[in-house]
Amino acid sequence: MDTLIFLIVALPLAGFLALLAFGKRIGEPFAGYIASATVGGSFVLAAISAVDFFRGIEHGRTVELFEWISSLGLNATFLWDPLSAMMTLVVTGVGALIHIYSIGYMHGDPRYGRFFTYLNLFITSMLLLVLGANFGVLFIGWELVGLSSYLLISFWFEKPSAAAAGKKAFVVNRIGDFGFLIALMLIFAKFGSLDFGYVFEAIHENAAIISVGTATAITLLLLVGAAGKSAQLPLYVWLPDAMEGPTPVSALIHAATMVTAGVYMVARTGVLFELAPVSQGVVATVGALTALFAATIAIGQRDIKRVLAYSTISQLGYMFMGVGVLGLVGGVFHLVTHAFFKALLFLGAGSVIHAMAGEQDMAKMGGLRKKVPVTFWTMLIAWIAISGIPPFSGFWSKDEILAIVFNRGGGYYVLWAVGILTAGLTAFYMSRMMFLTFWGAPRWDEGVTPHESPPSMTLPLVALAGLSAVGGFINTPWRPALEHFLEPAFELVHQTHLPAPGTQWVLAIVSVGVGIAGILVAYRRYVARDTQLETGGVWDTLLAGYHVDDLYGRTIVAPGKTASEVLAFTADAKVVDGAVNGVGGLVKAVGDQFSKLQTGLVRSYGVGILVGAVAVLVWLLAAGGGVF
Amino acid sequence: MNEIAFLPIAAEILLLGGAVLILMAAVTLNLGPRTWAIIAGTTLGLSFLVAWVQWWRIDDVGSQIHYTGDFLRTPMVVMDYFSVFGGGLVIAAGGIALLGGWRLVGSLEKRGAEYVALVLLAVAGLHIMVISANLILMFIGLETASIALYVVAGFTRDRPDSDEAAIKYFLLGSFASALFLYGIALTYAATGSTSIYGPTGIVAFFAERAITEPGVLLIGIALMIVGLGFKVSAAPFHQWAPDVYQGAPGAAVPLMASGVKIAGFAAMARVLTVAFDASISDWAQVISALAALSVVVGTLFAIAQSDFKRMLAYSGVAHAGFMLTALVAGQSGVPGLWFYLGTYAFQLIGTFIIASIISGAAGGASPLDSYRGLAKRSPVLAGALAVLMLAMGGIPLTAGFVGKVGVFAAAIDAGYLWLAIVGLVSAVAGLFFYLRLIVLAYFNDPDPALADEPITAPRSSRLALAVCVSFTFLFGVLPWPLLNLTSEALPL
Repeated sequence: MDTLIFLIVALPLAGFLALLAFGKRIGEPFAGYIASATVGGSFVLAAISAVDFFRGIEHGRTVELFEWISSLGLNATFLWDPLSAMMTLVVTGVGALIHIYSIGYMHGDPRYGRFFTYLNLFITSMLLLVLGANFGVLFIGWELVGLSSYLLISFWFEKPSAAAAGKKAFVVNRIGDFGFLIALMLIFAKFGSLDFGYVFEAIHENAAIISVGTATAITLLLLVGAAGKSAQLPLYVWLPDAMEGPTPVSALIHAATMVTAGVYMVARTGVLFELAPVSQGVVATVGALTALFAATIAIGQRDIKRVLAYSTISQLGYMFMGVGVLGLVGGVFHLVTHAFFKALLFLGAGSVIHAMAGEQDMAKMGGLRKKVPVTFWTMLIAWIAISGIPPFSGFWSKDEILAIVFNRGGGYYVLWAVGILTAGLTAFYMSRMMFLTFWGAPRWDEGVTPHESPPSMTLPLVALAGLSAVGGFINTPWRPALEHFLEPAFELVHQTHLPAPGTQWVLAIVSVGVGIAGILVAYRRYVARDTQLETGGVWDTLLAGYHVDDLYGRTIVAPGKTASEVLAFTADAKVVDGAVNGVGGLVKAVGDQFSKLQTGLVRSYGVGILVGAVAVLVWLLAAGGGVF
Repeated sequence: MNEIAFLPIAAEILLLGGAVLILMAAVTLNLGPRTWAIIAGTTLGLSFLVAWVQWWRIDDVGSQIHYTGDFLRTPMVVMDYFSVFGGGLVIAAGGIALLGGWRLVGSLEKRGAEYVALVLLAVAGLHIMVISANLILMFIGLETASIALYVVAGFTRDRPDSDEAAIKYFLLGSFASALFLYGIALTYAATGSTSIYGPTGIVAFFAERAITEPGVLLIGIALMIVGLGFKVSAAPFHQWAPDVYQGAPGAAVPLMASGVKIAGFAAMARVLTVAFDASISDWAQVISALAALSVVVGTLFAIAQSDFKRMLAYSGVAHAGFMLTALVAGQSGVPGLWFYLGTYAFQLIGTFIIASIISGAAGGASPLDSYRGLAKRSPVLAGALAVLMLAMGGIPLTAGFVGKVGVFAAAIDAGYLWLAIVGLVSAVAGLFFYLRLIVLAYFNDPDPALADEPITAPRSSRLALAVCVSFTFLFGVLPWPLLNLTSEALPL
């Protein structure tokens, strides 16, 4: 059975290597077939391997591939437990559907083979991330998904905006990685190992092994990493721009899987978060604020993909709220359902864009209902699901999170209220998007003749629509199957549970009411009154995302640039480079240079050494206590 | 007891013999580069083999200290796993570096023989630094190597900046050597010995008594740190490095950059963690400060560079800082230091070989712009550059990552968590300039003037580069053979 676990990773890896070597020669469409087959194969293997979890006769195991740096608890080891199995199923399942969709979507692209090479690299990396049994393997996956994300965002690097977006994603993620790496270092300093099992068992046996302060520091640093990857405040800025990548990439990486890595990481390290109540509050608050903030921006967007991008940020905020209050199952549950309906929304949007010959501006859409019926009906399901209308999937997971947050009481009531408000906004902006796209009179550019996409694109839509519709039933309050399934993975964590059934009913009615209200308001505004896309005043501010990019540009990027220029030109270029260029100028006679050398540079370098030497001397003497 | 123990100094004998042979072959027999190559290759190969034999010998009979034969019986040479590993590393690095830069030898014509001989002499000097059990001998090794390299730095006489590099290197290097020597003198004043081991050595001195007035000793230690800190280009003693690396013949820089670092750190580890192990609480603080300063200064300045070789020089300052980070842990940091040093040396050689292919073996400036679109001009070279840059940046699955983990773990274990964090933050920031090369090579179009110009690399450079790249990758994925070796390579 252990071989199966390796094969889950090995299949997409083999696909990646094969395409890397022969991708160009294989070409269209076989490169797409190969890539899809390997990911689909991984899904089947993962499903087979997960059967024992469903039957409840296995609790998880580690599988060692080879020893890497065993003295640090860093080996090439996989952890196969319900949580990693769940993530693997989502990654390979949604991944396979999106691979199939891409076969049609990328049709005719000159770098068709390269695209699937990157996609397979991404799947491999993501599997490493979720299957790693220690922070080392997790980190390798973490960095590799960052790399593949970068490569795919800037896939059309001829477009300057795509190249810039890739760069931005890269830089912002580095900031997150700072925090993550320092957290890993602290964990290693504290436990002497980076192995999940070892660290969590050590805490379980004796919680006093780590002080609350240290645990808080570690978990807050982990949060920085998670916020970078999962696009939370204040590091969310890269995700909207990441929409420059091909739409299947937005669906797979920047909605369904990679951006949930932060949520997964917090859930995986729940044992640590349990020791740090402050961090729990911070995670939940960051999540709630992000959810609300991004939802308001989504209202003002004109580009259909940017609406979905801000929506993703907002929904990730919900997941953070969930895992933040130690409702780990709730967070992971929403991760799963969100993967279904958001992937569907993105692929649907891609289908619309495809139909409109590349147009992404909703101002030029409208009245597409009849033209792209399959796309319309499948997106309709996703829309209802994300709006939180039962019995579709989004309702169950979002309400589970909100109920758990409510059950924490105290200040968390405020977060619950923020969550409810966001639910209303979500229903509103999603409805706005749907109405502007599919209802009303056509506002198409001349010459655009919308047409439905090929079956390779619509079939994944249908499959995802089915999952979005019924996916919520994997974890209802009456039959919490997912909770039982995940139990072994979270057995060391004391999770927050749902409130009493009566309270749950009340909360559910409130949130459904808010959701319906959001849809109705949007209906009145955009269908009944046929309001066109708004401009001016507050709408421009929303469209520009509250000008946060400008703010960052002025306060962080510009001073950073200035500093590096100062460094480049004063500290090095003027003193060193300038002198070298001057001295080393080929026209100068050698003797001339000698005099310059002697009067200028060497002496100043020598003084540098001398000053350093004196400093070392003084310090040593002070430290040794010999003289001073 | 007047028998000479040949085995511990066999490498020196071979290298010096080889250097003399090459000169004779060139001058008296008028033999060409092919002969020099055979002699140099044989010499270096045999010397490397000697390292294996020495290792087995230690397996059998244990570490040994060898004395001068006279009545004073001063310890001179030590043969322990540490010296054998370090010596082998110096020889390997010297061999690969010479191979990678062989193109220069051809272009130098007659003077090529002098160049090869000087390289062998430099390697011999560096080897002496690693194996010496006596500070005076260590200094002699240091000077032998340094003088040879001063000459090498100025070897392409037709370029003024090469002269400038040589002079600068010479003047500042002499200054540092003087400080090192003065440190030895003061150590002698404080302990009555210049030898590390032996019944009258420094280690024995500390074992017998505690120093109550450590002033003189501490000044001695400080000056030796400065002297060696200059050689390994740790901040704030690093300023020579960018000028020299840029000015010296491109093909000679790999040896200057890597070999000196290996021997310098080996000497530093021997002096600090063995001879002055008793004062570790004093010097570790200073070393930690130098480490932090090197890492930060190296990274910041490297970001600001527009020339590849200067960038590498500053990144070398940062790498010196990472290695100093391991050193703060004393002897328990030595394995981490060795692994980092061993893998970094080959990354450095590989990168400088690429630089010398792009900018010419004779050297000179190497603007970053000339790496634009490298992937289109030479995919293989771009791939090698990418692997090496990722390794220097410490990306997992390259040896650079394992090395960084090792030095940080050592520092953390020694209680220097802050230093590890400073290093880590700098390492992540440093990714910027390593990855910039990859972006330039892969995502930019080549300069139209250069686009059609083919990149030619002689087989020798390609072979050396292949070795460096495969080492880097191999020890990243399967580091444990080297990890096992380094964990044994402790000083006596």
